[in-house]
Amino acid sequence: MPEPAGPDLLRLDGVCKSFGKVVVADRLSLTVGAGDLVGIVGPNGAGKSSLFGLIAGDLRPSAGQIVFAGRPVTRLDATARCRMGIGRTFQVPRPFGGMTVLENVLVAVQQGAGLRRRPSYAAAAAVLDRTGLLGDANIPAERLGLLSRKRLEVARALATGPDLLLLDEVAGGLTDPEVAELVTIVRGISAQGVAVVWIEHVLHALTATVHRLLCLAGGTFIGDGAPAEVLALPEVREVFLGTEVTASLHQAGPRLADGQDREDR
Amino acid sequence: MSSLGPDTTAAAGPPSVPPAAAQVRVTRARRSTLAAAAAVVLIVAVLAYLPYLVYSGTTNLLVNFFTLLIMASMWNLLAGYAGLVSVGQQAFVGLGAYGVLLLASHGTSPFLAIPVATAACAVLGLPVWWLVSRLRSGYFAITMWVIASVCELIISQIPSFGGGTGTGLPGLPGNPTLLTADTYWATLACAVLALGVVYLLLRSRIGLVLTAVRDDETGARSVGVRVASTQRLVFLVAAAGCGVAGALYIVSQQFVEPTAAFSVLWSAKMIFITVIGGIGTIEGPIIGTIIYFVLQQTLAQYGTWYFIALGLVAMAIAIWARRGIWGLIADRFGIRLFGVGYWLSPAGPPDRDRGSR
Ligand SMILES: Nc1ncnc2c1ncn2[C@@H]1O[C@H](COP(=O)(O)OP(=O)(O)OP(=O)(O)O)[C@@H](O)[C@H]1O
Ligand SMILES: [Mg+2]
Repeated sequence: MPEPAGPDLLRLDGVCKSFGKVVVADRLSLTVGAGDLVGIVGPNGAGKSSLFGLIAGDLRPSAGQIVFAGRPVTRLDATARCRMGIGRTFQVPRPFGGMTVLENVLVAVQQGAGLRRRPSYAAAAAVLDRTGLLGDANIPAERLGLLSRKRLEVARALATGPDLLLLDEVAGGLTDPEVAELVTIVRGISAQGVAVVWIEHVLHALTATVHRLLCLAGGTFIGDGAPAEVLALPEVREVFLGTEVTASLHQAGPRLADGQDREDR
Repeated sequence: MSSLGPDTTAAAGPPSVPPAAAQVRVTRARRSTLAAAAAVVLIVAVLAYLPYLVYSGTTNLLVNFFTLLIMASMWNLLAGYAGLVSVGQQAFVGLGAYGVLLLASHGTSPFLAIPVATAACAVLGLPVWWLVSRLRSGYFAITMWVIASVCELIISQIPSFGGGTGTGLPGLPGNPTLLTADTYWATLACAVLALGVVYLLLRSRIGLVLTAVRDDETGARSVGVRVASTQRLVFLVAAAGCGVAGALYIVSQQFVEPTAAFSVLWSAKMIFITVIGGIGTIEGPIIGTIIYFVLQQTLAQYGTWYFIALGLVAMAIAIWARRGIWGLIADRFGIRLFGVGYWLSPAGPPDRDRGSR
């Protein structure tokens, strides 16, 4: 396992979680350093989104510890963890539909980053600008198309002023130029020193962006290292046998089949 | 109201911000909002002068109107924004009414007792919230109803409150003309105050939070919203709001009995009005109360039929127009009377003089 660049920002120690008989985390351990840019892949239903739920505080582990910025956060709720610096997007976007894009971001700036009035307006405008949403600022979020919804997910998470940003399939369902735009945004965020963990099925986007790739299957990480090395591991190739990932390993960066984005709308 | 003034700022941002973000401004006030504010002042002035112009029948009707308007606005705040669907708000209606009775029977003027009983309801809301805050959706709703019924049972056991048969409210002025006018003015003042509180709450930082919780509670938590403490605040405001409505109710009826004061019909009316008018908007309960009274007046001669008609209208709206009559109007004409939103300029379509909220 390669040593993370900075000191550990996030550490998971033996985290366990299951839904009935479905085990999504089986003594999972993971460290993410400050400013890291990490990718996560894994077959559908491997527990990737659940892992984000565990880190962000939406799900409670049945065993194990989660430490963020040197403090145990296992017992803290999602609100507290967000305020500590964990920002997350949802695989299926969860915009505040009746609020404008600006207001969506503003509430995140005010609640997550603790800014008020003028400084909060300025920060919200800056986030909208960075995520390419300035032109949509006054549109109710429910009227946004898929690309803008995905952007809004990123913008809202970013607006909370995170040290760790969790991106869950923000490129799913987008066209290649749209994916390229998102990659640019993610790179920019990472360049500012924010640690990013990115779950993605659009492999070419991920491998071109991240420094480190993890493969989650059966509730454990079966690969961790440089993207090319991880994707070359026999056990990784095996879990992806016959899936989109193997397909995209053979063809140079094609878009993925529709099937895997069934949850995205 | 200072918050109606243009509250504008240049989004200068840190040096790393590209120029585009530095060129935009975030604004609050809208033209339509200022027009609405002027209209509100005018309407309130006319309403305040009304007792000099019309017979007491009309003002008495308006007392009922305002009382229901307060209740519906509070239920809307609870259910439409904080996601707390309660069918037990009559607990606070009854407590507000009996609070006035308690104070008046000890010599306080009933009109002075109104604010005290209102505050008492907010305080009583705390232990109730402690009880129900752990409960979700259906359990919350039903438990609130149970609490209201328990309150009714307890009150009906107290002989000095007239037990189950009820009692008259002492200490009211003897002159009927004066009493009618005073009751009307008190009700009008309370309604203006209650709606003002709702408006200011929704326009404040908490308003953004409430709207976020309304739209997606999980999403709200993920951006650092403290959902529980926001819900508690709204619950206490709604407790006070329903309390003042109950206080006004006993003053206008000059009589109170437990079954009427703690009747679940109060909650039913709040729900009907809010659903018909448009849940999750400030304007909705106002439109809803107007529709309710129009239906009530036109169908009054058919007895309880107006309740059946109301139920059918509410069901139709819940199925076909989920955002209520106000939702239809707002979508059709693109208007917001009470602007609580934010506006980024010059980015975005400049012709639209409105936000989404
Ligand atoms: N709240 C829940 N209750 C019950 N089962 C759940 C819940 N959330 C997830 N699961 C199950 O846990 C498993 C992992 O789900 P998860 O969403 O974490 O997978 P994923 O790796 O993100 O998959 P995908 O690539 O399709 O997004 C799935 O089998 C799913 O059905
Ligand atoms: Mg997922």
